[in-house]
Amino acid sequence: MKQAHRVVGTPARRADGVAKVTGAARYAVDLSVPGMAYAAVVRSTRAHAKITGIDRTAAAASPGVIRVLIGDDLLAAGLTPYYGHVVLDHPVLAIERVRFHGEPVAVVVAETKREAAEAAELVDVSYEDLPAVIDADEALKPDAPVLHERRGERVGDEGMDEGEKGLVGNVCAIARVGWGNIDEALARAHLVVEGEYRYPMLYGYAMEPYNALAFFDQGDLVVFSTAQHVYMVRRDLARMFHLPLARVRVSAPYVGGGYGTKSYTKVEGMTAAAAFFTGRAVKLDLSVEEAMLTTRSASAHIRARSAFTKDGMLLARDFQIVMNNGAYTDNTPLVNSKTANRCFGPYRIPALRVIARSVFTNTVPSSSLRGFGAPQGNIAGELQMDEAAAKLGLDPVELRLRNLVGPGEEFMPGKRPLDADLKDDLRCLASALEWPGTRIGRSIGLGVSASDAGAYPTSTAAVRIHSDTSVTLFTGSTELGQGSRTVLAQIVAEELGVPLESVGVVNGDTGVVTYERTTGASRTTTITGRAVQEACRDARRRVRELAVQAFDLPTSEIEDTAGGIRARGRGFSYGEVIEKWFGAGGEVLGHGAVRRAEGFAKMPPFYEIGCTGLELSVDRETGQVHVTKLTTVGDVGFAINPALVHGQDAGAAMMGLGAALHEELIYEGGQLVNPNVVDYRVPRFSDIPDEMVHLLAERLDGSGPFGAKGAGEGAGNTVGSATASAIGRLLGIFPRELPATPERVWRLIREAERVRTRKTE
Amino acid sequence: MLRRFDVHRVTSIAEAVDARQRFGEDAAIYAGGTELLLAMKMGVARWPHLIDVKAIPALGRITATNDALRIGATATHWDIERNALVGGALPALARLEANVANVRVRAAGTLAGNLAFGEPHADPPSMLIALGARVVLEGKSGTRSVAVHEFITGMYQTALAGDEIIVAIDIPLPAKDVRVAYVKFQILERPSVGVAALGTVRDGRFVGAPTVVVGAVDEVARAVPTAQFAGADARDARTLDAIAEAARAAVEPTADLAGSVEFKRHLVGVFTQRVCATLAAQAS
Repeated sequence: MKQAHRVVGTPARRADGVAKVTGAARYAVDLSVPGMAYAAVVRSTRAHAKITGIDRTAAAASPGVIRVLIGDDLLAAGLTPYYGHVVLDHPVLAIERVRFHGEPVAVVVAETKREAAEAAELVDVSYEDLPAVIDADEALKPDAPVLHERRGERVGDEGMDEGEKGLVGNVCAIARVGWGNIDEALARAHLVVEGEYRYPMLYGYAMEPYNALAFFDQGDLVVFSTAQHVYMVRRDLARMFHLPLARVRVSAPYVGGGYGTKSYTKVEGMTAAAAFFTGRAVKLDLSVEEAMLTTRSASAHIRARSAFTKDGMLLARDFQIVMNNGAYTDNTPLVNSKTANRCFGPYRIPALRVIARSVFTNTVPSSSLRGFGAPQGNIAGELQMDEAAAKLGLDPVELRLRNLVGPGEEFMPGKRPLDADLKDDLRCLASALEWPGTRIGRSIGLGVSASDAGAYPTSTAAVRIHSDTSVTLFTGSTELGQGSRTVLAQIVAEELGVPLESVGVVNGDTGVVTYERTTGASRTTTITGRAVQEACRDARRRVRELAVQAFDLPTSEIEDTAGGIRARGRGFSYGEVIEKWFGAGGEVLGHGAVRRAEGFAKMPPFYEIGCTGLELSVDRETGQVHVTKLTTVGDVGFAINPALVHGQDAGAAMMGLGAALHEELIYEGGQLVNPNVVDYRVPRFSDIPDEMVHLLAERLDGSGPFGAKGAGEGAGNTVGSATASAIGRLLGIFPRELPATPERVWRLIREAERVRTRKTE
Repeated sequence: MLRRFDVHRVTSIAEAVDARQRFGEDAAIYAGGTELLLAMKMGVARWPHLIDVKAIPALGRITATNDALRIGATATHWDIERNALVGGALPALARLEANVANVRVRAAGTLAGNLAFGEPHADPPSMLIALGARVVLEGKSGTRSVAVHEFITGMYQTALAGDEIIVAIDIPLPAKDVRVAYVKFQILERPSVGVAALGTVRDGRFVGAPTVVVGAVDEVARAVPTAQFAGADARDARTLDAIAEAARAAVEPTADLAGSVEFKRHLVGVFTQRVCATLAAQAS
């Protein structure tokens, strides 16, 4: 049962809504400082090559140019010229060698942006080509060119994968999950579904491309950036310049879209280096085309087998996953291991074997992107549930219900038991979609997933209660558009019993706010929310302590009230207690911290549920798919702000639909052929399904505040597999490769016709 | 980012022609800029000089006579789709224009610019060719008029001479009982296949032969040989199949991100059938 709440559980208006809609909200890209210089990047024109020389003469003599910087300059100055939060292998600027077309080779700093761009064209880089490898399966072959003969130093602290064991050739990361006897289970199965599945390489299009503004202030490095994880960037920059953490400040104002693509260091190193060598404040802002050469998500090629009894009970699942992670490590060990954990689904599986390998190739480095391995894994895992149902003559919903784990049940040994009622979620979804669907020419596809979300649960927060009883929240979590400023303020208002309008939020600035490990893995509401709650409780404790001294009250007689305390029949606001204690002015500071203990002792901190389905039709002459209805079930435990949950679910589902139907980065001969958003097809308003329905499942079963758990990614995780499933149910052949472009669907239609013809002959 | 260039704002056709002659290959004509500036931003085209023709008053007009429409060279897609003369005399063109790219492109981009760029993946050329439209050009030696199919000579290539500018597009209005239709298939920013058709259908039969022009799929728009279909039964699936077959044979599709040669040739057939079926349906 829901408790009575005042502020949480309501669709409070976004604190930043008006500022964003009117253009008043300031993003990193909007910032400037007096005397600022501009940087432009010189990029590799080769996929893989030795740098034999860089002639900077003409560029340096170009009007307005202050300095032309190359990787060797960083080495010569004794800086650490590499970054990477897990493996220190990503050169700030290429050193000796380039490993992908578009890799930064030099930075030109000039008085104006145009002067920098013009001079960048004059930097003359000579190359000696090396054999390049673009495809991940090719890169695994023994004779493939090796990108990293010598591996970078491992600096990561999360230990998500197998570490450095077995990393030979181009293998960047390996993850294994498994139990039971696979071969025995396969041998006694009534049905084994087997297939190869492919999920595309994607660009997570954010409206604000990568940019940073950096300068040194009395030896302290200050960087404003469109970064999600300001504290992670701080660590990379501190290492690069050999500075203590305390002397590096990274601040992210509003971030114009992140989706994981702005996790970890991107352009901050280059920009800070430019500031270091010129003594100037330097701004670098990339075009979307350059952003597309900066980070992408990993594609996956999955060989999968699923074994069933004749009643549709899973006996075994076997996944061999090869992911293309591009030229450098970035977040690959985590994405790779998450793909391994998320491919098989929240089912009772007697025997499981997953081997995921991520492979270096001469392509744009990959990192996190919304869903983080789950959409990649689901195209095999969930689609095989549908393929099996078709072969067994069972209803795919029924097949899933028979195999899903229940609430409180463990499905990964030693991990947190499932904190959701997936069977009920699935029944809600099926009912909302009018499963199994009777409309001619339409077909429904759906799926479920439970992602081990939240990342490592280190978070802190602080609240200051002022003498007028208003409150400022300090959080290291960044506002990416997900609405964290609003949701966290709602938690403060609820805990302290103050009006929402009297809560201010300061966030995302390492020089000001408290530590937050990351803003990713859908963790903010759950983990930061808990830290915020603890900070509020700490502040209340301090208020009581002050009241004991100020009013000479015994501790036992003080009760907490909304916005203050009560004792001996009299109420005192926080402000009254504060002013009385100090005599004049003053404030109370509360600090909250959560760590891997108590409610978060067991990993993952929570499961993020995906439960999305859709109905579609196919133009059988053109292969074009039209989505008539899309339904999400937001199993969030408790929706602190239902409107924001709906927004997140709609956004995640639409991004999922982009990959399902259109999006794919395509390489030809070592170069991207669609490195711009004219040719790379992101979803448009006209792609929005005719009808969208967002349901909420609130069972107060989350580990976050008030029983909440994270959202924002889950709703997209099953969209790819659900789309493939719906198309497959309609055509009689399941697409195993996304996106399901018109041509691919048309080819399936023809294949289905050929199969039918053969059958009738 | 855009490199430095000079913009020359001309206010008469004569000034524009002068500027064309003065700057030669160093200048491009700038009206909507929706293709030009995109190409310049991406660095695939560099022009030190742009001749801005937007302020030439005569070029913005859309006028009509009893048998023709004249669309000025700086009329935007948005102007054309909302123009009452166009809507009344040639609603199929208004509909085509209303579905070009997106509203931002339509608000700035011009029909003349669309033709001048010679971008193969474009909507208007196929219909303009089907209608027998002509491009009116003015240069040092005077005015001339060139049929659209002769104006666009190849991928990004036109018959525009170095001293010329487009003044207008003249579109003959079809007779009252002639139906005009355009259908397209589009996934990316530009059409993958567009087919325009015009013809008269009476009592279910084509009066004379229908005109069918396939655009966006080939280097240039291609007219489909249709003489054999004069008088054919427009409601008979076999007729439509045969016209589709003729269309597939008439094109040499270019493979690109929108699809393979094989898929595009297939689409040409599908959309040729669809556009011809529209002609028949409109007539009934």
